[in-house]
Amino acid sequence: MEIVRIPEVGEFSADEQKFMEGMKDWFRIDFVPKMSRVMRVHKDFGKGYGRATRRAMADGALSRKQKEMIAATVSAVNVCEY
Amino acid sequence: MNTVAESLSLSPEFSGEARRVPLIPLVDPLSAAPEVKQILDEAQAFFAMEWPPAVLLAMAHDWGYLADYWLALKGIFADGALDRFTKEVMAFAASVTAGSPYGTDFHLREMRRLGASERAVIEALEVTQLFNGFTKIADTLRLTPDFNPRP
Repeated sequence: MEIVRIPEVGEFSADEQKFMEGMKDWFRIDFVPKMSRVMRVHKDFGKGYGRATRRAMADGALSRKQKEMIAATVSAVNVCEY
Repeated sequence: MNTVAESLSLSPEFSGEARRVPLIPLVDPLSAAPEVKQILDEAQAFFAMEWPPAVLLAMAHDWGYLADYWLALKGIFADGALDRFTKEVMAFAASVTAGSPYGTDFHLREMRRLGASERAVIEALEVTQLFNGFTKIADTLRLTPDFNPRP
């Protein structure tokens, strides 16, 4: 059980909601993940971290697939179920 | 490998970091038994090194264990559904996450040897840093998964 309340999408500003819609396209899912919502509770932190993530995960010298493998590896080493 | 390397205080192989003194003696490949030397030579060639990896020299006191471990290690790093380069990138991320100077040094060198540009190294570090943050946030807030890992 989460130790903080996870806001619903409708509780965020229109700009925030627009970004979250983009997040759904990015992951090809029909919902906004809890992580995306909780991190945007602090607008500047969420915006910076979110943009950094989009930038870092895009195809580049490494492919997005390879980067997702890195993300899975880090999650496994840290035993992070989420 | 990271766990053994750091717990035994093995020096990084490539970075030129000040030498550390291993907590157990390492097998000398020049005087090792032929069956041990065969594995060490194979590992040295596999990683294109001038000397067998210290972590394997630490394991070489027990030939049977070394043989089985090496079989597993070369098997998981061989090209398969994922290519060897991608596996080395993952090993680098795991080593950075585990805080292993030996592993970070080893797999960074392997990434570069297998063709990683400096841009690729930076991208790997960026993703590793970001997801170390994500995982700590998720665990601290006890976020329950909302993705189906098997869509």
